[in-house]
Amino acid sequence: MPKIGVYVCHCGSNIAGVVDVEAVRDFAEELPDVAVSRKTLFMCSDAGQEMIKQDIRDGIVDRVVVAACTPRTHEPIFRKALESAGLNKYLFEMANIRDQDSWVHANDKEGATEKAKKLLASAVGKSRGLEPLEDKYVEVTPNALVIGGGVAGIFSALELADMGYKTYVVEKEPSIGGVMAQLDKTFPTNDCSACILTPVMVEAGTHPNIELMTYSEVQEVDGFIGNFKVKVRKKQTYVDWNKCTGCGACAEACPAKVPDEFNAGLNNRGAAYIHFPQAVPKKAVVDMEHCINCAGREIGQEPKISKKTGKPRYAPCEKACPAEAINRSLEYDPKGEIVELDVGTIIVATGYQVMGKENFKEMAPDSPNVITALQLERLISATGPTDGKFLRPSDNEKPKTVTFVSCMGSRDVNFHTYCSRICCMYMIKQARLLKEKYPDLNINMHFIDVRCAGKDYDEYYVGARKMGINIFKGKVGGLETLPQDRLRVMAYDMESCTPIEYDSDLVVLATAVELPETAKKLGQTVGVQFCGANFFKEMHPKLGPVETSTGGVFLAGCCQGPKDIPDSVAQGKGAAASAAVPLAQGRVTIEPLISEVDQDKCSGCGICVPLCPYSAIKLREKDEKLRAAIDIAQCKGCGVCTSACPSGAITLHGYTEESIFNQIEALTS
Amino acid sequence: MGLEIDGKKINEAVKTIVDYGGDGILNCVQCGACSAVCPGVRAGMPVLCRLLIRRILNGQLEETIEEMSTWACQSCNRCTEICPQGVRPQEVVFAFRRYQANDLAISTSAFGPLMSFYETGHAVTVKDAAEKREQVGLDGNPPTSLNDEEAQKELQALLDASPMGELGIF
Amino acid sequence: MEKYGLYLGCNIPFKAPDIEQSMRKVLAALDVHTVDLKGATCCPGWGTAPSFDLDTWLTVSARNIALAEEQGAHITTGCNSCYGVLSEAHHMIEHKDRMGAVNENLSKIGREYKGEAKVYHIANILHDIVGPEKIREKLKYDLNGLKIAIQPGCHVLWPSDVMEVKEDNPFYPVQLKALCETLGAEVPHYSRLEDCCGMGSLRSTDAEKSFTLVKNKYESMHEEIKPDMIVTTCSSCYLQMDEAQQIFRERGKMDYEIPVFYYTQLLALCMGEDPSSVAAISKTPRESIIAEIRKDSRKTSQEVV
Repeated sequence: MPKIGVYVCHCGSNIAGVVDVEAVRDFAEELPDVAVSRKTLFMCSDAGQEMIKQDIRDGIVDRVVVAACTPRTHEPIFRKALESAGLNKYLFEMANIRDQDSWVHANDKEGATEKAKKLLASAVGKSRGLEPLEDKYVEVTPNALVIGGGVAGIFSALELADMGYKTYVVEKEPSIGGVMAQLDKTFPTNDCSACILTPVMVEAGTHPNIELMTYSEVQEVDGFIGNFKVKVRKKQTYVDWNKCTGCGACAEACPAKVPDEFNAGLNNRGAAYIHFPQAVPKKAVVDMEHCINCAGREIGQEPKISKKTGKPRYAPCEKACPAEAINRSLEYDPKGEIVELDVGTIIVATGYQVMGKENFKEMAPDSPNVITALQLERLISATGPTDGKFLRPSDNEKPKTVTFVSCMGSRDVNFHTYCSRICCMYMIKQARLLKEKYPDLNINMHFIDVRCAGKDYDEYYVGARKMGINIFKGKVGGLETLPQDRLRVMAYDMESCTPIEYDSDLVVLATAVELPETAKKLGQTVGVQFCGANFFKEMHPKLGPVETSTGGVFLAGCCQGPKDIPDSVAQGKGAAASAAVPLAQGRVTIEPLISEVDQDKCSGCGICVPLCPYSAIKLREKDEKLRAAIDIAQCKGCGVCTSACPSGAITLHGYTEESIFNQIEALTS
Repeated sequence: MGLEIDGKKINEAVKTIVDYGGDGILNCVQCGACSAVCPGVRAGMPVLCRLLIRRILNGQLEETIEEMSTWACQSCNRCTEICPQGVRPQEVVFAFRRYQANDLAISTSAFGPLMSFYETGHAVTVKDAAEKREQVGLDGNPPTSLNDEEAQKELQALLDASPMGELGIF
Repeated sequence: MEKYGLYLGCNIPFKAPDIEQSMRKVLAALDVHTVDLKGATCCPGWGTAPSFDLDTWLTVSARNIALAEEQGAHITTGCNSCYGVLSEAHHMIEHKDRMGAVNENLSKIGREYKGEAKVYHIANILHDIVGPEKIREKLKYDLNGLKIAIQPGCHVLWPSDVMEVKEDNPFYPVQLKALCETLGAEVPHYSRLEDCCGMGSLRSTDAEKSFTLVKNKYESMHEEIKPDMIVTTCSSCYLQMDEAQQIFRERGKMDYEIPVFYYTQLLALCMGEDPSSVAAISKTPRESIIAEIRKDSRKTSQEVV
């Protein structure tokens, strides 16, 4: 005979303000097998927990039912309490009379009280069928995977590697570095971005515990925390990276023209290219999609022989390479190579993209002198398309007037309702850098608000005003195209309530930060959800910024939401700390609330096998007969197999038939 | 001294405008994009779009009622097209116009068209219209309500039964 | 075949009936079936009912659209302002759930609005439903070598969400451009193409401010592209652009002329229609440009009637 202890919580006034807690306590006392029924103000407080523990120690109760808030947050607390008092923690049941009762029936106190009684009776009924269960453990693979080699990913990887864990970094571009590698300088110190990033990139590239897999993409993720099996596609480079020295001769020789992604489309690269001068690893790739197969030089075939010279005709990239790293006669597999990794935890740090100007119809997007801020960043960068000379894209002339427009696509119900957080600061940075170099340059900045929350940020902004940069409050409404590719700016000065109209040579749009389309597929592959703003969703907006709802998968950097470099680095390090926990613990706890097949009752019919959504069931031979067996690591305790088994051979621990029938009876009586 | 922020007055102002059809007004974050493209503002009309909304959100409905800038709104709707918060500023301006009109604080140039509208069904009429029409080969009497008594009576019935009828201008 | 109720508004039938003639002739020649809307009133103009009471506006507009519905027709108009009023009314009745209120009012005069008729601008019908190919077939004169400054106006472009036919980019409209290019003319861009001409409530409230807007337009056209004519699909823009320049010349503030046409007038001329019925009334003289358009050397392969 079980001795059930019932504990009803007031939860301050959350429950007691609607439900008659005294009446519920009275009701519970009369239920069969209930040894004791108590109530208190806050069950989760030390006093409340002590109440339960004392009853256990005194031998009064051997099952505990708490009627309070949600098991989602509080079940672990009470289970710990049972355990510390010496009672098996799975002999615990919780009735949610807050979220499912007092919070939703606030206008019907009588009805809410009756419902509370029913919910409690159901929990008591369930608890009668509970058995003591033991946690199971699975070994953890002490490796980590970081998806994304931008600044957040790099710092995550370095932390994990320094802790001693083997860390794979999978990056889809030929080099790590991400968007930070495209920046000229960083606010508010005006540090040269490459100068502060390259040392860290090199450290990551040479760390004994880090394996960089660049020009690679994650294809499939299987398994669960501590035991992920990840398939990574190493894309075909068409260049032997063991021989390639990164000299760049092939890139110079290649005649193909492809918009250069690193320079935000401002100029072209070849099909054979090196991502950027400070690339890590500095290796060339041939972008076969845009390769024009010079001299008819198909991959996997011998070169054609020239009729004139009688010599074989090689492609310019092959001829140029001094290290013989490019050999187009080889039979390359265009799909590259699939590599399987075993890792214990995964950090997603895939970064962001900025919206393109073509989205903004009123901003003359076809004009060559309307550019995004990232394009401006490349224009003023020494490794950019103009070698750092500030020239207008249309005619390579020096601009005399530059306009900065804020909030394009951000804070906008037509695109993204959120603020992209970094634009105010980077616009001010770009304006300051330009004004410093070209004091006669007329710079007009148009903001809705100026957002500078960070260390030394507001001082940086005030400094911009002191330099003579013109700052206006009022969003630019549109641009009109003038002769010689100039733009007429239609703006408004809110502070003096006057419309503004002037001619500008170059207009820079601060376009919104967002995730690329490819993020959807990646989210599905890794098991990460999206939040309302279409970034990857963290576990809890306040208290769970690096975890996700999938155990073992963590987030870092802008893929979780727009942020600047210091915040990305902080989140990267935080994600590494959280990701290291299962690795450090060495084992992962599996909750025993899963299904189990009674081998003697199982008839080997196999009905359960295809029903399992997690592919956790397999038929195995036992004593020359087939019997079903459930993999405890894969089973999620959904119960489908349990209800389908015609022999009744499967038990879902924690949800036995006895428990469920007791619940049904309690709820329908 | 200075503008007194009276919560009750603000709520009433907002409610008035919303009831007259400007239901997007509370979405406004005062970004100013509407004013940047408004032909009225660009031509120099002092109180339109963003500033008009600011006055309403400050509770200054009565204090702004004499402002004739609102009667210059072209309904071009550039503001509606580019507003990033879905305010539909043109509808707010017109809601304010309705507030003004119901107090007869309208531009003097509006009375003529109104009377013409009531009498003939057309806000604009021209004396030599029939001549001009015949000159180009059309029937001097256009197929509209201009000379159609029945149609005029229908319109007058609608206008008499409407809030406009209560203004005593017809 | 679709029928279209020809909604005339006020300015076109009274001040510029030659535009009305041009519309009728052009639509008939292109086999577009139009019907007259007997008893149609003002749309009602922005300064009237819409400025007084929302439901009254919607009711009067609904009555006008119902006149087309009764004949199983959609409704089309050549005046941008009417197009804006009717389009917005049509959209608001549906999206702000005013059908009930509107029909309650209309029932008092024995009418009902069903919301089935669509609201089109004549330019939409010419560009999207008839199409440039078919228009080209009917041309008797070609405008090769002539430059047109287009004035699409405002209400046919914004707010794009209430319109039956939308431009891809209302800030860079191409519909009127395509229609003019169909006639063989060159249609270069000028910087103030998308600006408002100032006609409408602004003109009635403060004429001088309205004039600054149209003056900017003339200057932009004259300095940047030197057009042979201005072509518009808005009757209000037509009146403003035709009259205002005359006023500036009388004040000694403008020393050039740019003749103005409503698009269907120009199309009618290119189809061989008689200018005395389709392009007879204007303040800025058009005789010489009309003569230029109807030069023998501009004749296409079609026979001139």
